[in-house]
Amino acid sequence: MQTNPERFKENVAEALANPGLKVAIRRTTDRAESKRAAAIQNFPNFEQAREQGTRIKDHVIRHLDHYLARFERNAVASGAVVHWAVDAAQARDIVLDICRRRKGRRVTRAKSMLGEEIGLAQALDDAGFERVETDLAEHIIQLAGDPPSHIVWPSMHRTREDVVRLFREHHRNPTDSVDIADLVDSARRELRGKFLSADIGITGANFLLADSGSVCTVTNEGNAELTTTPTDVHIVTAGIEKLVPSMAHAMPLLRLLVRSATGGEITQYTTFYTGPKRRGDADGPGEFHIVLVDNGRTRMLSQGMAEMLRCIRCGACMNHCVVYKHIGGHAYGGVYPGPMGSVLTPNLDGLQRARKLAHACTLNGRCQEVCPVQIPLPKLLRALRASSWEKKYEPPVNRQAVRGFVQLARRPRLFQWFSSLGVLGMRLFSRGGWISSMPFASGWTACRDLPAPGKATFMSLYSQQRKSGNGIDQP
Amino acid sequence: MTTESNSKQRTAIFDAIRSSGLTVECDEEDIRREAAELVTGVADARPPLLADDIVEAFRMRFDNGLVVGTTCVEITEFRDLPGAVSQYLERHGLPALVKIQPLDNLTGLDWAGFSTDADVELDDSVAVLMAEFGIAETGSVVVCSSASMPVLLNFLPLHAIVVVERSRILPFLDDYAAIAGEMAGDSTTPRNVSLITGASGTTDIEGVLVKGAHGPKFLHVVVVGR
Amino acid sequence: MAIDRVNQGVLRVGLFVTCLANTMRPSVGFASIKLLEQAGCVVEVPELQSCCGQPAFNSGDDEGTREIARGIISTFEDFDYVVVPSGSCGGMIKAHFPDLFLDQPGWLDRARKLSDRTYELLSFLVDICGWQPKGVALDATCTYHDSCSGLRELGVYDQPRKLLSAVEGLTLVPMDRSTECCGFGGTFCVKYPDISNAIVGEKVEHVLATNAQLLLGGDMGCLMNMAGKLNRENPGRVTAMHTAEVLAGMAGDFLEGRVLNADKP
Repeated sequence: MQTNPERFKENVAEALANPGLKVAIRRTTDRAESKRAAAIQNFPNFEQAREQGTRIKDHVIRHLDHYLARFERNAVASGAVVHWAVDAAQARDIVLDICRRRKGRRVTRAKSMLGEEIGLAQALDDAGFERVETDLAEHIIQLAGDPPSHIVWPSMHRTREDVVRLFREHHRNPTDSVDIADLVDSARRELRGKFLSADIGITGANFLLADSGSVCTVTNEGNAELTTTPTDVHIVTAGIEKLVPSMAHAMPLLRLLVRSATGGEITQYTTFYTGPKRRGDADGPGEFHIVLVDNGRTRMLSQGMAEMLRCIRCGACMNHCVVYKHIGGHAYGGVYPGPMGSVLTPNLDGLQRARKLAHACTLNGRCQEVCPVQIPLPKLLRALRASSWEKKYEPPVNRQAVRGFVQLARRPRLFQWFSSLGVLGMRLFSRGGWISSMPFASGWTACRDLPAPGKATFMSLYSQQRKSGNGIDQP
Repeated sequence: MTTESNSKQRTAIFDAIRSSGLTVECDEEDIRREAAELVTGVADARPPLLADDIVEAFRMRFDNGLVVGTTCVEITEFRDLPGAVSQYLERHGLPALVKIQPLDNLTGLDWAGFSTDADVELDDSVAVLMAEFGIAETGSVVVCSSASMPVLLNFLPLHAIVVVERSRILPFLDDYAAIAGEMAGDSTTPRNVSLITGASGTTDIEGVLVKGAHGPKFLHVVVVGR
Repeated sequence: MAIDRVNQGVLRVGLFVTCLANTMRPSVGFASIKLLEQAGCVVEVPELQSCCGQPAFNSGDDEGTREIARGIISTFEDFDYVVVPSGSCGGMIKAHFPDLFLDQPGWLDRARKLSDRTYELLSFLVDICGWQPKGVALDATCTYHDSCSGLRELGVYDQPRKLLSAVEGLTLVPMDRSTECCGFGGTFCVKYPDISNAIVGEKVEHVLATNAQLLLGGDMGCLMNMAGKLNRENPGRVTAMHTAEVLAGMAGDFLEGRVLNADKP
């Protein structure tokens, strides 16, 4: 996927100018918020579960090499082929190589954000494979040529009318109806034959189980199992941080994931794959490949971003983010949107390109509050700002302003003097107690007034009072 | 199996992890112990069951509408299954045509009056399947691949009728995980284990829930036993 | 954890006024002093104070922030308590100063000690002083905005409500999403004014939906942001004030135009 986080300001302007987008966003985020809240109401021990989930993830991160080695050993023992990819390009090459060697043409895919991250869709298209997205939302955005705008509901920016149009244009046997159930049936018909005639099935992984070498996917549609069973080859692409020690460790995380994402207690289909088809199995793929992808994750470990590797891709952070709720997912210009995307994109695409994302945050902390594994997102975003400052990526005008402010603030008497000057200056622009325009303040005054200051600063009034011996009272 | 170029990549990744300063050199035994501690004694990190009796808690998931597109009945003996299937088909206005999983427990029952070799590739079939376990916490059934369980039999039909024995309904997800952990130790993990909790569904179009994208639209759970 | 006065003696409180209150709303400073004295504290306002450093901290200038923080630590570390009429500035000192000095053990120790003693004003009055206003009356309806830092970094939620419930005649009408960010975010509102405007636009809709006469909160940045938006779009419908001003009996002055700061005719 082509990313453009450096176009953030332009992307935001487009998003804010699109009232239909806001309706679409809120339909998704409002529902997700209330469903999550209801699910937690029914789970009195949710905070303990969060604590446990956090500790499990931190334990794995602390012993990541051990668990990766163990996973590889057990996966290979079960007949899987394990591949290692340092970056996105290597991951793509490995997948394409497997596809070419199998002389496959039709490739079915279940939803995978990691697949998006490594640019697999474009690579498959460019290499001439027939790529069939099977997750309904991914199918919709494939037809529309869109990037995903949310990690759980990637087509949330598309309305029913959009879907009607797309299905009529692209389905072999589309419905005349505009009823959503009929649209889904049309997709069911369209994709059913493709599942059964595909050569290669590609999925991501929600969890990688070290003790058995198993891969776990969670879906509500059942498209993962339809993607991975009928084909000769099943390829998994997964980030190395998806490791857990065993299924006993996956279950607590699963409980957190589904409630945080959709408010459900478990997905309709939670499937664990271990190796290729066995002798005696009634069905299954003859080859099972697991591509373990780093793509910046080890770098995050050494750059103070380890907590980000706890992420289980639930999307709760973006559902509760005031900024995301106004600008939607595409504005972030990266694979991952919202708070988690604002941490990941600078790490994946480079801080210099994506530094604006780290600044487009009020640091209000709601994301951290709802994160099922307690990722300190505001702390990480601010750390990215500090890193950007240190590397001098911040524009000179910003640097000068901040440095100037620091020189004043560390000299309180000078600061107070400037503050008093500022009060006098501002009062010149005050009308009826409000300032509606003032030089250098257009960012504020373009759409809101500024309450005017009083006669003087607090410190000067206070020291006047003390000098004149008055009691401490209102002047 | 790792190719030579892949060895280089593998080494690069492990080197990067170890030089990050975050990972801790540790005895494998210590790691296992720490991992075990993380998942023992955590009853207070679980959601509540809907009832004290496990089978009742399991049933209530369905009766309370908490599992998408799913109905549930109880029968006392396996031989009552064809009757239960009959009732289901009648309720849905369907002909007496089903696909039965090639398992002796099921195929050996009295299916007189049924055609039992429905074509599941057509999108209108009813399958009758046997689950290994049920899970009361979520209302899930656990199906495992084998010579007698084609995985696709759970996903291609329009209606899935899944039978689970009373005595094999487990309380929590963790209870199944414990069984899976033992299988991992013995290297007897089946190739495909699916925890199925409801019919297939999606909310991808304007958040409206629709069943049957792309798996079964209907799930009927039959609990058998005294 | 109300303090045991008999053993502690009178509390010496250093007031950190905050640059926004200092420059834009002195009455918040005076109200803070009044309330703290009513609660039995001896209040000093060190002259050598400026700003908590958030503008530098949130811009990523850690070294610059340290330069500011050292000054604040030196100036305030000898008080029994440091009280701040702002959740975000209080949070800066309490939650973030120690993190600035992880590599400097001497300063780290001093920062931690200061952090232990630093409180946001309203939570200090309730949690430490066990104080409630007496004889304060205001016949009005109000609604409350929970500023993010105070709420999430310092646990300020119940305390302002408890204090306001003791004001005779004052009715609190809760607003939808009172704990949702108002879009100020310090440097955010100048870097991303359009997003900030969109966020505050929604926030003021929630405020107006309560039909309350007063919008109260504990942070000047948030209050100025919401008040400014209200005045631009719906002037005269809601008056924004700091909770301290209401508790100190100053609300009447504002509502009746005898304001402390503004060129009212």
